[in-house]
Amino acid sequence: MPDTPETILNVNDNEASRYATSRILHRAGFKVLEAGTGGEALQIVREDLPPLVIMDINLPDISGVEVCRRLKADPATASTMVLQMSATNIAVTDRVNSLAAGADSFLVEPVEPEELEAVSRALLRLYRSEAALRRALAERELLLKEVNHRVKNSLQLVLSMLSLQGHRFKEPETRELFTKAISRVTAIAAIHERLYQDADPLTVEMHTYLTGLCAELVRASGMEENAQASLQIEVEEVRLPTEHGVAVALVVNELVMNALKHAQPANGPASINVRLMRHGAGQVRLSVADNGEAPEQSANEVAGLGTQLIRMLARQLNGTVSIERAAGTYAVHVTFPLQSAVSWRPPY
Amino acid sequence: MAATVLIVEDQMLIAWHLSDLVEGAGHRVLAIARDPAEAMEAAAKQRPDFALMDVRLHGGTSGLEAARMLYECWGVRSIYLSANLDTATRAETEQWQPLGFVGKPFLPAEVLAAVERAAKSVS
Repeated sequence: MPDTPETILNVNDNEASRYATSRILHRAGFKVLEAGTGGEALQIVREDLPPLVIMDINLPDISGVEVCRRLKADPATASTMVLQMSATNIAVTDRVNSLAAGADSFLVEPVEPEELEAVSRALLRLYRSEAALRRALAERELLLKEVNHRVKNSLQLVLSMLSLQGHRFKEPETRELFTKAISRVTAIAAIHERLYQDADPLTVEMHTYLTGLCAELVRASGMEENAQASLQIEVEEVRLPTEHGVAVALVVNELVMNALKHAQPANGPASINVRLMRHGAGQVRLSVADNGEAPEQSANEVAGLGTQLIRMLARQLNGTVSIERAAGTYAVHVTFPLQSAVSWRPPY
Repeated sequence: MAATVLIVEDQMLIAWHLSDLVEGAGHRVLAIARDPAEAMEAAAKQRPDFALMDVRLHGGTSGLEAARMLYECWGVRSIYLSANLDTATRAETEQWQPLGFVGKPFLPAEVLAAVERAAKSVS
């Protein structure tokens, strides 16, 4: 029970009935506001936000059912509890309509004072517990937003730290190692920028994700400036579960990094093509192709890690890796089943 | 076209990284400011072509305050950077003619693309 008396708005155009109801409510310890018309009632609810409105169904201007419908339709007043009252001779359909319009309860007059008080208390109890739930939900949402912000910010710090460190190395090999590490971390971190801001936080839309990453790969390679390589992206609008999205992005990262390094055709710039398309029934195929020579199997430790990563990630996707060599092209395909994600529905 | 840029970011590591990127692309960073007051002080000394603005400074939303002051006093517009670029935030910046939005964690390519676009549109 709250310490201060709770407020109830009593709406009735019949002065005698209104007085009788107010008297019962006063005696029960409530603070009572009064209105004689629907218009007045709407205005008082908007201004004073009483937790409960007790309202006669027959009002001179707007019907009680309509007043109730408007109160429930407006987010600012929707939480107000409405108890509709009417005389004995009202048809069942009117009572049904009234409840359908959002009234929380209905009483037929004459009502015993005890019953009016008990129903009022029950509705106020309901109002309080709904208010507590709304507060708890708002707090949770705030907390989630905060945690989400923290995660993204920490990832940003990781990336900034690595980049600052990487720029300070003079030896090309060390720089390259750092560039690779940064690129891999970027592929993982970048998904967080895409998630949570659209309707479905459990899946990631691959088009924007991969387009952004590829643009960054080209930039980081420095190949754009001297027109040594061009990159085309063809990604179907497909959503993947988050873990699959990250795995695909990491594979793209490895393959494009390899291609940028090895795809140097004898004449003309390297052309790299990244495709992610539906492939047959329930399958998706990722292809990274270039117009260069097939890379030799390198004993280099770094290239070795890349190859291993691709193999492990393809396995994580339940996919298969195939390599296609033809005159002037080299392509790696990863084909994997399109797993239907647990789809997200907002709980309200 | 080389532009002069004011970076407003309270996390020094990120500010430093941004500064490296912007300068690496041939633009000039005039100053790194950590709050609205520092941003105004820096802009009073030397007017930047535009600002690279973190929306959330010191856990609040004072980046928006800094953006408003820069715009109202000198017509300096901003590229907004944030880990929470929701629709409400974007809508609020409309009145100060935003030059772009980049989410955090950012891709350097996205930051630079926004900087290049900004440099063109304010020149």
